[in-house]
Amino acid sequence: MPYFCNMKLSAIPKWGKAKIKEINHPLLRTKLLEMGVVPGVEITLMMRAPFQGPIAFQCGNTNISVRSEDADFIIVN
Amino acid sequence: MKILLLGNPNSGKSTLFNSLTGLRQKVGNFPGVTVDQKSGTMTFQGQQHEIVDFPGIYSIYPKSAEEQVVYNALNALNPQEEPCIGLVVVDASNLERGLFLFSQLADLQIPLVLAINMVDLAERNGVEIKQDVLEMELANTPVVLMNARVGLGKDRLLKALQHQMEHGLKETYFSVSQGMIALEDISLQEQDAEKRFQKASELFHKSVITRTRSKEKSSLDGILTHPILGYFFFALILIGLFQAVFTLSSFPMDAIEQGFHWVSDYLSGLLPKGPFQELVCNGIIPGISGVLVFIPQIALLFFFIALLEDSGYMARAVFLMDRLVRPFGMNGRSVVPLLSSMACAIPGIMATRGIPNPKERLITLFVAPLMSCSARIPVYTLIISVVIPSKTVLGFVQLQGLVLFALYLLGIVAALTVAWVMQQVLRQDRRSLYLIEIPEFKPPHWRNILMTVFDKIKVFVLEAGGIILALSIVIWAVSNYGPTAERKTALRVLKQQEAYISAQNDERERLESSVLLEHSYLGKFGKGIEPIIAPLGYDWKIGIAIGSSFLAREVFVGTLSTIYAHAETSGSYRLKDKLLQEKKADGSKKFTLASGISLMVFYVFALQCLSTLAVARRETGSWRIPIIQLLLFGAMAYGGAFLCYQLF
Repeated sequence: MPYFCNMKLSAIPKWGKAKIKEINHPLLRTKLLEMGVVPGVEITLMMRAPFQGPIAFQCGNTNISVRSEDADFIIVN
Repeated sequence: MKILLLGNPNSGKSTLFNSLTGLRQKVGNFPGVTVDQKSGTMTFQGQQHEIVDFPGIYSIYPKSAEEQVVYNALNALNPQEEPCIGLVVVDASNLERGLFLFSQLADLQIPLVLAINMVDLAERNGVEIKQDVLEMELANTPVVLMNARVGLGKDRLLKALQHQMEHGLKETYFSVSQGMIALEDISLQEQDAEKRFQKASELFHKSVITRTRSKEKSSLDGILTHPILGYFFFALILIGLFQAVFTLSSFPMDAIEQGFHWVSDYLSGLLPKGPFQELVCNGIIPGISGVLVFIPQIALLFFFIALLEDSGYMARAVFLMDRLVRPFGMNGRSVVPLLSSMACAIPGIMATRGIPNPKERLITLFVAPLMSCSARIPVYTLIISVVIPSKTVLGFVQLQGLVLFALYLLGIVAALTVAWVMQQVLRQDRRSLYLIEIPEFKPPHWRNILMTVFDKIKVFVLEAGGIILALSIVIWAVSNYGPTAERKTALRVLKQQEAYISAQNDERERLESSVLLEHSYLGKFGKGIEPIIAPLGYDWKIGIAIGSSFLAREVFVGTLSTIYAHAETSGSYRLKDKLLQEKKADGSKKFTLASGISLMVFYVFALQCLSTLAVARRETGSWRIPIIQLLLFGAMAYGGAFLCYQLF
């Protein structure tokens, strides 16, 4: 899978890899920071629920799931 | 000394708590909120210590009601007056964020012990932790590598706790900020978090070697969260769960009822006849039986829910279902409580505790009783057999079965509609976020599962049981007592009747109890509400049966058979035939299609279940929600029944 640049996390296909660039949602940013998801960290998109449902991405040794409308605020590089 | 058990979600905290306390634990609520507070005692070296298990958190600054509890408790700590130790449990595979939380707690100046749990899984993930480096850097904190599931490292942990109890050393490695930041100051919290994360990350890279392994794509997840197969699997699991709850619970439920029936019979022979004997044998003992009879369903349902949670499957189900229930103001986590309410609303409502967002939890808990539970089945089947002809439509569909299906569907539609309205009306908590971690699959830990089941039973019996018992004694009393003079006259009139004189002994008894019920306070209630329920197509007999249904809906059938004991029938003792043959004064049938459908619709909506009300009170902390449920669903039942009676 290629690397994905300058796009929303919600747009990455399954198994796609990317690096977090910024999170434009204060609450989500803090919460993800506390879970260890910070700009620069590499993620892999692991799961996608149908009908624009939640997505799940792997970061380190953990899988984190967010709703896709929240994933719109996460920009990857 | 008090030990505070703190840590990330999915770090094996509950397993450690169970292993430290065994059965010496109690569940309650944290003050003012309905979040489980588990505490227990452990003894080592001759001294007893209290352990409090807090909800899993990623940070001490709360983003949900559950996390708020931890913040409040930490804020209220007073180490000078009441010394305590923080036992911080972190997942070895996710040490970086574990150290982040650890750093926040360290800066609160509480003596800490760092337990790095699940080291076996971490090793498999290619994580190697250098304990010596960690201990050197964190000079004032004992560090213990352990695997709580198998009890590995427990001795070392106890030693570390002992050490901290004696020395009370405070960790100074991080020192990012002192004390707590105000809850409202989000920007300062964020700055603090960034600095903290850098420090935690530094320490992490010093003390951990990660061999990057190309993680094989989990084939299990490929199936279980597949866009099509995943739903298929979830449906299979739910069907299995229902089958199990229905079929496996019926035997112990019968046994409980039979057993108490036997005790009541035995005692009624033993005690001298009189009001006390009646209270004990007909009021209290059946009341206790009515509480305990729910235990099999609660136990089975929570056994399966805990199994799904503990193995890691539940997070996948939540992930899959979230999109489907979101338009109704619910969360993926609402699905299992809602569907389990089709067996019984009581475990369903108790299971809403797993929903982190208060609004989503309230909506789920509120609409759960609208799902048709198994206690409605006897009512539905009786009325269907009376008013719906047994024939096939469209060539192969059984009409009676179709009606039963429609009633279930009506319940589901009503639940979703009420949920949708609530979603529009209620204010959203601004801090609400769907952000869940999907843990790795693990073989279930049976001890954890059994502890959950045990806790749920205990909470139900101790905290809802008393109210259920008290209210059922009230209903028993009003249906068994009435104005004495009136009852005597009525009995005298009965004894002069031809039907009574020619009847056998047990038939006479049936006739007597029927007359006594008619002239009881409940009978008065039934007659009193007749003008109100007449527009729905019911008479006072149905009124009595509806009143008695509050004990449990299936009591409807038994009450009707008592009332109809003296109904004239052409040779049939079946309740169904008696209902069919009853005539009004003008000779027309009393029990018509219209009144039957109206009655079934009434039972779909109405919240006629004391136990559900008592559990809703326990789970929301006040009578407000159960009273709103009772009134709203009562109004829906009345309106729906009225409409049906007028239409058909």
